Amino acid sequence: MTSTRLAPAAAIALAATAIPAPAADIEFWYGNTGRIETAIQSACTAFNESQSAHKVVCVGQGGYEAGMQKAIAAFRSRQHPVLIQFFDAGTLDLMLSDAVVPVQEAMPDVDWGDYINGARSYYETSTGELFSQPYNGSTLVFYARTDELAKIGVTEIPQTWEAVIETARLLKNSGHDCPFASDAHPWRVLEQFSARHGVAIASNSNGYGGLDAEYTFNGGLVAQHLNNLAEWRQEGLVLLDQDTAAGKYNRAFNAGECAMMEASTGSYAAAYTAHGENVAISMAPMYEGVERRNTLIGGGSIWIMKGHDDEDVDAARAFLDFLRKEDTQIEFTRATGYMPVTKSALTRLENSGEMGDLVFATVELGVSSLNQPGNADSKGIRLGFYVQFRDIFKEETQKAFNGDQTMQEALDNAKRRGDELLRRFEQTYQGATLP
Amino acid sequence: MLALIVMFFYIPVFLAFFWSFFLERPFGGGSEFVGFQNFRRVLSDQEFWRAMWRTLLFMVLAPGTAIGVSLVLALAADRGIRLSQPARNIIIWPKAIAGASIGLVFVFIFNPRLGLFAPLNDLFPGLWNPRIDGTDAYLTLLFAQVWNGIPFNFIILLSGLQTIPDSLTKAAAMDGAGPWRRIIDIQIPLLTPQLFLTFVLEFVGSVVEAFGLIDTMTEGGPGGATTLLVYKIYVDGFKAYDLSGAATQTALLMTAVAIMVALQFRLEKRVKYER
Repeated sequence: MTSTRLAPAAAIALAATAIPAPAADIEFWYGNTGRIETAIQSACTAFNESQSAHKVVCVGQGGYEAGMQKAIAAFRSRQHPVLIQFFDAGTLDLMLSDAVVPVQEAMPDVDWGDYINGARSYYETSTGELFSQPYNGSTLVFYARTDELAKIGVTEIPQTWEAVIETARLLKNSGHDCPFASDAHPWRVLEQFSARHGVAIASNSNGYGGLDAEYTFNGGLVAQHLNNLAEWRQEGLVLLDQDTAAGKYNRAFNAGECAMMEASTGSYAAAYTAHGENVAISMAPMYEGVERRNTLIGGGSIWIMKGHDDEDVDAARAFLDFLRKEDTQIEFTRATGYMPVTKSALTRLENSGEMGDLVFATVELGVSSLNQPGNADSKGIRLGFYVQFRDIFKEETQKAFNGDQTMQEALDNAKRRGDELLRRFEQTYQGATLP
Repeated sequence: MLALIVMFFYIPVFLAFFWSFFLERPFGGGSEFVGFQNFRRVLSDQEFWRAMWRTLLFMVLAPGTAIGVSLVLALAADRGIRLSQPARNIIIWPKAIAGASIGLVFVFIFNPRLGLFAPLNDLFPGLWNPRIDGTDAYLTLLFAQVWNGIPFNFIILLSGLQTIPDSLTKAAAMDGAGPWRRIIDIQIPLLTPQLFLTFVLEFVGSVVEAFGLIDTMTEGGPGGATTLLVYKIYVDGFKAYDLSGAATQTALLMTAVAIMVALQFRLEKRVKYER
């Protein structure tokens, strides 16, 4: 064998042994950017300054999806961090990855029951064991501009879809070009919608009951709602991203183009900056006659990754303990607009008398939306390759909104393609049991 | 050097083919050999064929237009008409702009409310909206790709034209051949090596380089209208963690491109390099 043939093997061997992390330092990877990244970094600094035994290095990955990609690559080459933040839609992929240790198993002494229900159910196993520590929590709420509604004599924020559309018609008839804005993202129109109406989008309670689930959203209330959305859009009552001048539903709302929107609690700060006291929020609208269930938690949670020594895991525990502290959570909420995720942090916030402050404006509403009585179908989404399914759903419904196919065809296609994904996921994880 | 090529080219290529026969878990630990099942699945997937068709159409339209326009520009610049000197310089500049930046600029230029066609939309509402209309989006992408390709093709073709001996054109002119005749009978035939080079490069580029444009301009939308195969592979592999599916499609795309380049090189046997 010549030396040129040996070179690649040597290069690979070298790459595999490079970058050993100092024993006492552990890494935490997160995906958020901007204001939220700043808040995460200051939590890291605060932790490092509060004690001297451990040091956490917090590394931004520039996005949830990018973070997940890098984590996969890092895990495959054994360079992965101890702690990592993942987003809601990747939950099942991680649970079955065999790459993580459930937090409840790693830290049995913590009072995990303290986490609010909406935050727990999304990240817990079928036996109620929390897999990851909820961190940055948001949920879907309804936004309206009271000044625009007042012009047409509406003083109450609409609570039902029927009322939303009636208001939208009034706005439209009075010459308003954009009564209600959305982006028809599945997080909004599929997941949050079905959860709060207590209906499933897939069998086996959205996959909680096993990997052999099948999508069911192409019939029933969810299909009805999407058909309605398409009709309302035809009528000019609902505008999607591409119909607005701003190009994005929340920017269109903030720019004063649109009067109402459905958006994350995280959008409040920007909306308030734009419209001040004229922004009102309430729980996302329901169809009349349907009992309100909880909405789902959005955002991310923190996972402990396998394959690290005890010392590193100790540091990880200490950091998670620190993030769970009431004061840390309240500071994080103050800086980001996310919600506190434990009951004790909420109580602390209520008792502090600061709840009325603007920075906490979404907390009470968001948490009570998450804490509505749930049922088996409102726990969360536990479906394989779900991130890919979201893209399929967007693609198919987009074609329906553009008039290339009917909404029912779009939903049937999305179901068919989604089921193919689920079957492949099931096959990929053959022999693995759903925790 | 060899080691680098092996590490960054041959190993990934090998892995793509290897994974296409397995169902691979994203985090590793339990890949299952499934033979040709991935291929069967991909080949029977409508979406794959749609993306393939869009890619093929793009592979014909983008190089064809980019080379056609460059050829016209190069012929004009070669004739030494007024302003051809500064034009030779200016046309090169866009080469220095990255695909992603071009994408951002074109998104703005083709914005249905603020861009170039906004006045048209005022007259005929809904005439132009790449955010809704798939064809409009595809055209925008095509336009950006062509614009991106022109400078390089232009410089190659112009330099090719300038190496054509003066004596030939002069002799033809004396025999009474007009400019068009000279272009068709002398310049283009003598330009075939350059035309062939630009065509092969543009051809491969239209498959690979379009990625940056798609990612910044349309993200494959609306409704998948601009999802070329290279973008679909990225989405499946990196956003959806479907490593096996992405690997299978990569293997198929590589095979398709290799076959087409091989065909082109068969064609190349007819190219005369000697003058």
